[in-house]
Amino acid sequence: MTDAADPLSQEIHGPTPRQILRMRAFGHKGLLFGLIVVGLLVLIALFAPVLAPHDPYAQSLMNRMVPPVFMGGSWEHPLGTDHLGRDYLSRLIYGARVSLLIGSIAALISGLIGTTMGVCAGYFGGKVDAFVTFLINVRLAMPVVLVALAVVAILGGSLTVVVCVLGLLLWDRFAVVMRASTLQVSRRDYVAAAQVIGASTPRILLTEIMPNIFNNLIVVITLEMAHAILLEAALSFLGLGVQPPTPSWGLMVSEGKNMMLFEPWLVLIPGAVLFVLVLAINLMGDGLRDVTAPEGRS
Amino acid sequence: MTEHAFTRSLLVAAVLTSGAAMPALADKASDTLNVAFTKELENVDSYFNSSREGVVMQRAVWDGLIYRDPETNEYIGNLATSWEWIDDTTLEFKLREGVTFHNGEPFNADDVVFTVNYVANEENGVKTQRNVNWMKSAEKIDDYTVRILLKDKFPAAIEFLSGPVSMYPNEYYAEVGPSGMGLKPVGTGPYKVTEVVPGQHFVLEKNENYYDSPKGQPTVGKIDIRTIPDVNTQMAELFSGSLDLIWQVPADQAEKLGQMGQFTVANESTMRVGYLQMDAAGRSGADNPFTNAKVREAVNYAINREELVQALLKGSSQVINTPCFPSQFGCAQDVTTYDYNPEKAKELLAEAGYPDGFSTEFYAYRDRQYAEAIASYLNAIGIETDFKMLQYSALRELNMKGEVPLSFQTWGSYSINDASAMVSQFFKHGSLDSTRDDEVLDWLNVADSSTNPDERIEYYTKALKKITGEAYWAPMFSYNTNYVFTGDVNYTPTADEVLRFVDMSWN
Repeated sequence: MTDAADPLSQEIHGPTPRQILRMRAFGHKGLLFGLIVVGLLVLIALFAPVLAPHDPYAQSLMNRMVPPVFMGGSWEHPLGTDHLGRDYLSRLIYGARVSLLIGSIAALISGLIGTTMGVCAGYFGGKVDAFVTFLINVRLAMPVVLVALAVVAILGGSLTVVVCVLGLLLWDRFAVVMRASTLQVSRRDYVAAAQVIGASTPRILLTEIMPNIFNNLIVVITLEMAHAILLEAALSFLGLGVQPPTPSWGLMVSEGKNMMLFEPWLVLIPGAVLFVLVLAINLMGDGLRDVTAPEGRS
Repeated sequence: MTEHAFTRSLLVAAVLTSGAAMPALADKASDTLNVAFTKELENVDSYFNSSREGVVMQRAVWDGLIYRDPETNEYIGNLATSWEWIDDTTLEFKLREGVTFHNGEPFNADDVVFTVNYVANEENGVKTQRNVNWMKSAEKIDDYTVRILLKDKFPAAIEFLSGPVSMYPNEYYAEVGPSGMGLKPVGTGPYKVTEVVPGQHFVLEKNENYYDSPKGQPTVGKIDIRTIPDVNTQMAELFSGSLDLIWQVPADQAEKLGQMGQFTVANESTMRVGYLQMDAAGRSGADNPFTNAKVREAVNYAINREELVQALLKGSSQVINTPCFPSQFGCAQDVTTYDYNPEKAKELLAEAGYPDGFSTEFYAYRDRQYAEAIASYLNAIGIETDFKMLQYSALRELNMKGEVPLSFQTWGSYSINDASAMVSQFFKHGSLDSTRDDEVLDWLNVADSSTNPDERIEYYTKALKKITGEAYWAPMFSYNTNYVFTGDVNYTPTADEVLRFVDMSWN
């Protein structure tokens, strides 16, 4: 008997799961691009005070709408200044904080709500499942943007309100996906085994089920993060999101809108950055899904 | 006729498609001037809206008894041929004969009596009471002689009669009321309304039988006014030739349009004054920081009015230190002024007990850009602003309830060239008065009702000195309006922010 003939030993001597993961990750261009861009933006957001060349709130009316370097401006303001003479690059850098903050916290809140509901529905089934499915249907029947607009209009726009509203609205996909995944996983033998040895329900949920549906969760988190960032931009654009003078990319697009015909870069720059961030987050999510669960490719 | 127009438009289409772009030709050829309004008009009936667009419509569709020449400011008879004061509270008018309304109804003393009695009655709910509530009633002497009785002495009566008080047809108005008038307006003016689609457009047509009015005869055959809220859309339509005239164009865009060379950009000063209203009376809460005069002074010192005018408003705007426009009668300029001095502002805040500043709600309803710049000045001295942008009507309502601590407001005085149209509107303990100063009220009462011009000036000056000394408001700047039109249009705007279609013609 040679080693090669024995499938068992072949499996043992092959690359470890961790190595396979690493190989797949490095071979995935989308994931790499997403990770690098998101990582870069997170760093920029964290070190905004160091990186920003000017105070993003410093107004200089005599210096309004200076064009960026590539359109004939100076290096004093590499990306020009806005309609109140504030440095555009600095506002863009601080704006990354707002976008990422809203994206991550909203995804976190909705993730907590949605996952709890989904996992409970999938594991307990029966009446719990029926109730959660009902809640999901109710939620899906409400158009997110409309509800967000109404709530923000009543409560007034601010960072906290926008984060909470988005967090409380975007849990539907979490609930749907987690419910389906839990349904699959909870029929596995190891769950039955855990039940047989008398493990408590929380223990089963946390140590048997959660680790096995985590890859799906990550994909949904990234999707919802991108979704929340876009919604924040939309709300701010409509004047109902983050309030001035807080720099937000959506708000910057809105403020530049009036001069769109003559100074298109006022809209193009924040718009492009927003596009790149959302694209990167989505690519990262897709990549993570591909890498952790190859069968998800289908 | 229609066949002719058809061939002509075919021709135009051919010219356009062949590449020779002459976009404005179509409009001149069809004698239709396309104009854009930014705001939607609540009701075309001029007594039941309070917007600038309403004033424009009012001047086109209706006439008043008197006309004020916008150039010379001289009062000339319009629907009246002459007038005289019988006593301090009685005005007698001789009316013009042979005038008919657009629906054929003849104009006579009955129309004047009906209109005055209707609008002066508070129960009928005329939107801006100040425009009409000085009149008690009117009585007919004979078919072409009428007397208007005043509640009290009111020296600005002639000014108001040449402005917002226009004459309505009695039989028609009694039948349809304000809502009917809003949908099918009937007046005596140079233009008659042929179509009203609320929220979309109004079509005006030349009144061929317009009498010999000091307004002059209309020349442009048809005016199509569309409501287009977005400035970029308005400009795009101007480029493509589907609009001929836009107005209230923001300074930045007007500057760029002027640089393009193919449009006429005319800039005119307006009477509209931009100011910060502070809750000095403490209606939004007695512990409100603005009840402290030092805080109000600090706000006044915090704002760089020169910079706002030069960099943001541009054109013929000017720095304003009074709660009225300098050209208005009685608007004395020798008052307390506050130069830009953020250091002093911070000191004053500290003295007032706010060394680290405070946080307040800050409301605005228009010109977000200006409001943001103002907020930024306030932030710089430590006043944190919770910025809230509302619709005009919503903010007005909130303001009437006294729930607004600080707001960026503007007032155009309905282009009435008298200080009473602004000072007396806001400082006489009305629902929009955020100061409630008894002394100011007394002085304004004297000034508003005196017929002696010197006495009026004396008391307005007293009131204005107190208002500025106490820093009740922070007056900032006056507005200007940019009118942009194609080379085909010939028009010279006037300084009172009123678009006069009757003065427009084709080049």
